[in-house]
Amino acid sequence: MMNADSSYNMRSKRFYGLKTTCLVWVLLVTGVSCELPTRTGEGQAVQQPDETETAAPPENEEYVMVTTAVTMPMYVNHDQAAFKRWGEKMGVKVSILGPADWDVPAQINTLEEVIGTRPTGILVNGTDAALAQAINKAVAAGIPTVVYDSDIPGGRHHAFLGTDWYEIGRMQGEEMVKLTGGKGKIAYMGILGLSNMEDGFRGLLDVLAVYPGMQVVGKYDDKASVEEAARITSDVLAAHPDLAGLCGFDSNSGPGMALAVKELGKGGRVKITTVDWEPEHLSLVSQGIIHMLAGQKRELFTWYGAQFLHDMAHGTNRLSGNDERAGITSVPEKVNTGLIRITRENVALFLP
Amino acid sequence: MELLEIHHLSKSFPGVKALDDVSLAVRSGEVHALCGENGAGKSTLMHILSGNLNPETGKIVFDGKELRLKGPLDAFRSGISIVHQHLSLTDTLSVAENIFANRQPVTRWGLIDFERLYRESSVLLERLQIDVDPKARVGALSAGQKQMIEIAKALAREPKLLILDEPTASVTDKEVTILFRIIRQLTTEGVSVIYISHRLNEIFEIADTITVLRDGVLQGTWPARDLTRDSLIRLMVGRNLQLQEFASHRGEEVLLEARNLSNGYIPALNLKLHKGEILGMAGLVGAGRTEIARLLFGADPPQQGELLLDQQPVEVTHPENAILNGIFYLPEDRKTQSLFPHLSIEETLFSARLTGKAMTGKVKRFRENAAAFVKKLRVATPDTAKKVAQLSGGNQQKVFLAKLLLGEPKVLIADEPTHGIDIGAKHDVYNLLRQLAAEGRGIILISSELPELLILCDRILVIRDKKIAGSLLRNEASEARILELAMGSN
Amino acid sequence: MRKILEDRIYSLSVLLIVIVVVAGLVYPDTFLTADNFRQLLLNLSIDAIVAVGMMILLIAGVFDLSVGSILAFAGCFTAHLMFFYEVPVFWAVGAGLAASGLLGCLNGYLIAYKGINAMIQTLAMMGIARGLALMVSGAAIQNLPYWFGAIGQSKLLGVQMPVWYMLLIVGVFTFLMSKTVFFRRYYYIGSNEVAAALSGIRVKRMKMIAFIISALLAGIAGVLLTSRLGAALPTMGRGLELRVITAVILGGASLSGGVGRIPGALLGALFMGIAANIMVIARVSGYWQDIIVGIILILTLWTDQSLKKNYE
Repeated sequence: MMNADSSYNMRSKRFYGLKTTCLVWVLLVTGVSCELPTRTGEGQAVQQPDETETAAPPENEEYVMVTTAVTMPMYVNHDQAAFKRWGEKMGVKVSILGPADWDVPAQINTLEEVIGTRPTGILVNGTDAALAQAINKAVAAGIPTVVYDSDIPGGRHHAFLGTDWYEIGRMQGEEMVKLTGGKGKIAYMGILGLSNMEDGFRGLLDVLAVYPGMQVVGKYDDKASVEEAARITSDVLAAHPDLAGLCGFDSNSGPGMALAVKELGKGGRVKITTVDWEPEHLSLVSQGIIHMLAGQKRELFTWYGAQFLHDMAHGTNRLSGNDERAGITSVPEKVNTGLIRITRENVALFLP
Repeated sequence: MELLEIHHLSKSFPGVKALDDVSLAVRSGEVHALCGENGAGKSTLMHILSGNLNPETGKIVFDGKELRLKGPLDAFRSGISIVHQHLSLTDTLSVAENIFANRQPVTRWGLIDFERLYRESSVLLERLQIDVDPKARVGALSAGQKQMIEIAKALAREPKLLILDEPTASVTDKEVTILFRIIRQLTTEGVSVIYISHRLNEIFEIADTITVLRDGVLQGTWPARDLTRDSLIRLMVGRNLQLQEFASHRGEEVLLEARNLSNGYIPALNLKLHKGEILGMAGLVGAGRTEIARLLFGADPPQQGELLLDQQPVEVTHPENAILNGIFYLPEDRKTQSLFPHLSIEETLFSARLTGKAMTGKVKRFRENAAAFVKKLRVATPDTAKKVAQLSGGNQQKVFLAKLLLGEPKVLIADEPTHGIDIGAKHDVYNLLRQLAAEGRGIILISSELPELLILCDRILVIRDKKIAGSLLRNEASEARILELAMGSN
Repeated sequence: MRKILEDRIYSLSVLLIVIVVVAGLVYPDTFLTADNFRQLLLNLSIDAIVAVGMMILLIAGVFDLSVGSILAFAGCFTAHLMFFYEVPVFWAVGAGLAASGLLGCLNGYLIAYKGINAMIQTLAMMGIARGLALMVSGAAIQNLPYWFGAIGQSKLLGVQMPVWYMLLIVGVFTFLMSKTVFFRRYYYIGSNEVAAALSGIRVKRMKMIAFIISALLAGIAGVLLTSRLGAALPTMGRGLELRVITAVILGGASLSGGVGRIPGALLGALFMGIAANIMVIARVSGYWQDIIVGIILILTLWTDQSLKKNYE
């Protein structure tokens, strides 16, 4: 660090000379080799891999799921379980990658690193629109790419399977109107800042807007935590003892809202609709605390998503001489797997 | 009867033989002084006796049994208590809780029995004639009082052997008297005391037996009456030390002047420091000497009054201003106020150049400079890349002085510069201060060692209760006169 | 041998080389490719930039838990200005960085001058900045101007820009921290604050500046990440603070201050990035990565402690 060196001055002059030369070179090379990103809308020709419809079944077949929050029980029990089952049935290798926590940039990093390993197909959990570029990179690299759960605008993936979150919102809104007779105060919560949730909120509000008797008292961020959802619920109920209904949009909203309502002894009187059908949700429906669940068919996302990848890789359904050159995809482009409506009437059928 | 016998003890660290075949014996009820310069092996020996270090070879027989210590707790249980130079008290807890740290009396519910804790503490404090409330927070006590509490803590375990490592380093003379009375009382009860100190007067006053170590090698054990001050110094240092004759370099010109300078702590300070003068500051611990130094240095900046340097008013609101004006301060506590534990000698010296507006200035290379200073001050290491923390106290202090000298001080305020350093290093510091005065710099020397002030200073200010209680010229000053002023008695 | 073990820059470099060689032998086609290295460097560049600021703070004996949130805020605020107010890219980026600097200044002022504990203050700021990010971005902001995207998506010599910014920042701060008096002061402050003040260093001011630098670097990282993703997500940088502190400690810093060098921050981030990359290539699930990094962190500090003990 502070090593004295009598020849320092001389050396440093030479050093600076060298540096200047380097700098000039760097600037030259920079000028020549700086690439700007392509503008969106400038039709970028998808690079065509040269091997075409030889389409013998690929060797070392491997399908990779890239998700985020890989430890989340809902993902593990539905998406990942179905994907693994599919792999076993087909006798191919399947891998599940992504950060342990909800971290979209880390999911993007993982996806971009996976591309370099050239798997047979990539199944991407559409957690956020920011995935678009990475998805396009995978497509440009010639890897069959399917997105599930939420669609990614701007992404050129080959197919999408998922639920329409706007519909989830609408379904909850309509149920709420039915449950309350079109009159009363409503609060709703979820993870603020996630685009699919915001779509859901919009669907809910669009329905409620039609009924002047429905009054929205608040939108809350339960940060995907049961405790937070319960705290918000008891606060809201303290402020509005006449609250008619609560709508939830993430997996933990329902259990949290139900907990607070039960503790205040208002179970059944405050109407609750929410998403997902984990065992806990189902038991709350049979207890009459939660009135309706808007469930997703998550198993279908990943099962058929994987199947699409497989069919693309194997060229199962050829629609032209060369589908890629023709610019078409030989699998369905957008699949709405639909919703499951679970109420007290049919809940027994979903219980294990 | 021998309470403690040490046979052929050796211990080495990478590159140093800290103890080399040392044997000694301590009798019941005697005060056994252990002398030697820093680095002589005293601390290593103490660490072995207190269970912090294991010897490589040799054995220790204590109270008739061979002693094998696995840790400090073992030492306590065997009846050895040690009072370390660095305090082991917790500032945020009460005196009583510190005395009975980790072994507070408990009620039958297993909870701390505070009533008994305070009662037993006050009995102990009374016996030792320490005038401190057992409920007082230790943080609020003076350094001297803390030292007494530390000793009380060691005695609360009723040891057979009490080891005191520099117990008087931060204690006033009055407290030394109390301490000595306690030690004498203990010895009549059959307790043995190993006493380590750099203050030779104290050693001759209290010790029955003296053992001298040098560079880890035993020089011998003698009855105290068989040694003289000079012969002891010779044994410790291995050479004769001579103080130069006193010579005043005080010039006519006033270098630094404080006019009614005050902050929240020090009321209206007036003083003049001449060029080439060594101005002493004596006083009891807690009299406010360090606070005056901090006021002049801007560490506790003045709120009122004027400070003039070379007859020009200067604004000193932060040590940065003081240093830029050439006023430097050598703090009292090396470990907490001077030492950068991670940094080398060279980097520590460099901290002299960190002030001012040098926002982008490149770090100058200055190993040669550093090496020159290291040589000049006789720091016992050839390698300036060595960490300062690995040096002995005296050598550390020399490095800190060198750092200040690199800044070319006009005024140097040295706060207890020889505190806890060995005799050889002390003499080096004295010679250095004299040399600086001869170069026309002004020096304010704060010291609790009166002989030191008397041999070095042109003038001695005695501080009492945050004020200057008196100013003694060299020819009027004596230990008695200074003490009179310091304690406020007639 | 001891010297190599004791200097983290050496020991970590050696460890990295060993890992790269082993991984290269096991996965020659997927790991040891230029594409993969370009990608992993890009992925760790954001962390590394933030790590430089964290390294300075740790050298000075403090740390900042709010960097992840400040990163998100800077990105979202910049995007907000461009998207809703059509502020030109240059000014929007400037405003985003200024805003992050302001949050850092607030952190530094309250910690250095008002004596609030660094952990508490930056924990509070972590919540505040995350809330602000959420407020200005809503779900996420997309369709950002072309030239904003160009900041992080352009390539130089085939390598995407954030990597170059990272190298530039690491280079500049390595130089500053080792060669200039001003930055060198942080070693003294971190080693002994009292002694530093008595050596004439304005400790409080220097600490505040360190927080501003750290926040500014987090802001730069936020703008780069937003530009690279083409979208401002309020969830960006979640858990970043602990990841970065881990990287910096791996790189030779200590929570008690006074030690560490800037290249260590890069090496620490590089280590974490390569570890993550190998896990992806080996198809090891995400939580294993956290476990393995945790184990390595403990092993590193353990080795350190044993070496120290040996020495004393």
